[in-house]
Amino acid sequence: MNQKELRQEFGRKAEAVSAVVTPVADLAQAFAQAARLTAQQGGQCLAAPGWEADELAALQAACELEGLELITQGLRARTGEFHTGLTRAQWGVAETGTIVMESSSEELRLASMLSEVHVAVLPAAKLRADLFALEDELNRTLAGAPGYLAFISGPSRTGDIELVLTLGAHGPRQLHIMLLEEGS
Amino acid sequence: MSRASRRQYHQRLKGALDNTFLGQTLARFQGNYRGSRQAGFAGMDFEALAAEVGAAKDAALGQLEALYQQFKAQAEAAGATVHLAHDAAHAREIIADIAAQTGSRRIIKSKSMTSEEIHLNRHLEAQGLKVTETDLGEWIIQLRGEGPSHMVAPAIHLSRSQVAELFTQVTGEKQDPEDIASLVEVARQRLRQTMLEADMGISGANFALASTGSIATVTNEGNARLVTTLPKVHVALVGLEKLVPDLHTALKILQLLPRSATGQLISTYVTWVTGAVECAANGGKKELHIVFLDNGRLALSQDPVFSQALRCLRCGSCANVCPIFGKVGGHNYGHVYIGAIGLILTYFYHGREAAQELVGNCLNCQACKVNCPADIDLPALIKKTAGLVMAEQGRPLKNQLLRRVLTNRPLFHFLLRRAYLAQKPLAGGGRLIRHLPLFFAPDQEFRSLPVVAAEPLRDRWQRLAPKVSKPRLKVALFGGCLVDFVYPEQAEAFLGLIQGKDIQVDYARDQSCCGLPAAMASEEETAREVARQNLAALDAKQHDYVLTLCASCASHLKKYPALLADDPVWSQRARHLAAKVIDLASFLQKEVGLKPSAEQDKAVAYHAPCHLCRGLGVHEAPKELLREAGYDYRPYDDEEVCCGFGGSYSLDFPELSAAILERKLRQVAATGADTLVTDCPGCVLQLEGGLDHLGSPIKVRHLAQALAEAKDK
Ligand code: SF4
Ligand code: SF4
Repeated sequence: MNQKELRQEFGRKAEAVSAVVTPVADLAQAFAQAARLTAQQGGQCLAAPGWEADELAALQAACELEGLELITQGLRARTGEFHTGLTRAQWGVAETGTIVMESSSEELRLASMLSEVHVAVLPAAKLRADLFALEDELNRTLAGAPGYLAFISGPSRTGDIELVLTLGAHGPRQLHIMLLEEGS
Repeated sequence: MSRASRRQYHQRLKGALDNTFLGQTLARFQGNYRGSRQAGFAGMDFEALAAEVGAAKDAALGQLEALYQQFKAQAEAAGATVHLAHDAAHAREIIADIAAQTGSRRIIKSKSMTSEEIHLNRHLEAQGLKVTETDLGEWIIQLRGEGPSHMVAPAIHLSRSQVAELFTQVTGEKQDPEDIASLVEVARQRLRQTMLEADMGISGANFALASTGSIATVTNEGNARLVTTLPKVHVALVGLEKLVPDLHTALKILQLLPRSATGQLISTYVTWVTGAVECAANGGKKELHIVFLDNGRLALSQDPVFSQALRCLRCGSCANVCPIFGKVGGHNYGHVYIGAIGLILTYFYHGREAAQELVGNCLNCQACKVNCPADIDLPALIKKTAGLVMAEQGRPLKNQLLRRVLTNRPLFHFLLRRAYLAQKPLAGGGRLIRHLPLFFAPDQEFRSLPVVAAEPLRDRWQRLAPKVSKPRLKVALFGGCLVDFVYPEQAEAFLGLIQGKDIQVDYARDQSCCGLPAAMASEEETAREVARQNLAALDAKQHDYVLTLCASCASHLKKYPALLADDPVWSQRARHLAAKVIDLASFLQKEVGLKPSAEQDKAVAYHAPCHLCRGLGVHEAPKELLREAGYDYRPYDDEEVCCGFGGSYSLDFPELSAAILERKLRQVAATGADTLVTDCPGCVLQLEGGLDHLGSPIKVRHLAQALAEAKDK
């Protein structure tokens, strides 16, 4: 698969599992989108652990624009308050519409588990055809113990009542993937 | 087997069959599953992938102890503590000790069949600990005080109204059964708080990677992530068979597991935990304990026959496709482990008493086998497990009789001839017996039974044998008991079809029953003896084909090489024979080439015999022939679902046989077909008997008859 096919396949499969894929030109645009959709949904707080200082400055500006509080740590104590968790994803898998997220940091996990909406920023250059194409990278990540690695495909769901598919069981109700075109 | 326990089991089955909601839910579940699974595997070579996974699991099972040591070294280097529990009690003790040592009182759990296996909750609760299941289905059944009825969807036996009622009680607020999203919301709200307050999280694991000491969970709801993240202590309870050497093997399995479980290409969350990860609730580092459960697994992994059962991925597919599960649900079709694999594992993990009634409840329809992503020969293992139960309990009288009669062909055939005389007055001159005297077998009123033929095929053969001077092909006809003694007209129809085609057909007089009934009754030695007799009677070397009109005989004849693999005298002949066995439809397509007939004014539906479509992999040929013969062929959803016959199964479990038959006949009637065609005399017996009992005008024909009738027109 070439880059374009990868992107198409990833988009189709991610949407099939109810994720929303939004192409963005740069991080600033991703931040703006995340802040906007948080505000639109009535959220007041955005949790964004694991970003560099300069990136945070841009994010802070985006949050201010939408009147949101930005928090980057101590998420446990703020459970129930942050609407959105904004994180990076390391890789994307076209075959299944999956994002792979290294989340050994507990704050990262809480942001992606306890939020109502999880927004993940994924560089388009990190798309692969399937999990087998990522085997070496995954093996390296797993070997760097201790660690917590997650494959995430769409928002949390259950079919436990009469097999009726219902989104938002114990994790985020929505998963937004910001597909980043630039290199980083 | 005690009569009381048998009676009790049949009462439970009856109760389940009378529960209309359960029936509807399960039917919908199985119908949806079939479609989702098919979509999930679209474009993939399932058989090849399953074989690969089976082989990979076998390789791992062959070195479990080494993998365990490797895993332990890796995981402990990363800060985990790894335990090995010898049995259920030991595992419960280890986990209760961890709770005591860490001062954990509030425990949250994500779904783990292994914890169900060791009845963990009961034990922890008896210690005064508060245990909360967080998987929605598990929480529902925990609140109801029930066990799971399915390995993947534990509350699948319940309706939305039942859940709404339950949640109304739990919340004290009226819940709307039609609003499933708000029911899910109740669980989300209630359980979130419980999870935040918990001291200890207990999870299972789908994989344990020896190469890195990582454990993986595969889930949809996201509760397992919270269970492994929020509390200060994480205990993972893992069956030893979950050990795999490396990530590659796990990814191979992951390709099949969600697709087989729900038709999803992948589950929403697959998470990999390696060692003591960061945890603010525990002053920085999580306390991680990984408890491996042996409970008979190590011994089982060394067993040449039963180690296969440890390949199981717990996908639930073998229940989802099982016609019996579809009628009675998991509470009546398993103990803790459910479905085909449950019938087997119950014996090994929970003992003979828990297994003794269950293990006989299998039609041998092969649906589980062909759907199993770990390539486990489930029906064969079920029969072998039944054999172990029997060995412990002593052979029932009917098995002793079966052995005596089947191994003595002249006696067997004498009894069949005598049956004709005994039945004659009951049939009142007709072909079917409608009212059976009670002494035949109880609860058989759901179908009429055919009368044994006045003149069996073997006696007619001299008259019937085609006279061919220069044969183009030589065929040995294997009659099988039903064609020979009950339905010789099916063989006559076949001979009509090949008339003038220069095909020589021989009928060896010394052939006997194929032996399948013995295999079904777990009488392997008898099955072997009968196989040897047939091999002596039929010399495959002299023939191009061994043809049988009975799909069950055909697929059983194909098993002779496996049955006689260790027999120095007969194994080679068994292989020769098996290689030449062919079913009617394939033979006609390959060797005869019937002329297409003009359009018939008949609409036909087709019933695919289990042993033809799954046993021999023949799916399209019979239907193509029917269409070419000019019939208006009408498909229906359950065309390839078992008719409920299963030989002696229908005598042992008449209530289920009737229920499974009823569902099939309802679908057939809905097609508007006036004739139902199949190519196995056993299925003819069941279908014709059921239709006659219902007073239905639909006629049943063996494929040979349907084609012959079209040709004669
Ligand atoms: S036996 Fe096979 S089909 Fe049944 S649960 Fe296990 S893996 Fe799935
Ligand atoms: S062979 Fe058929 S009846 Fe027996 S367990 Fe498998 S699916 Fe069920």
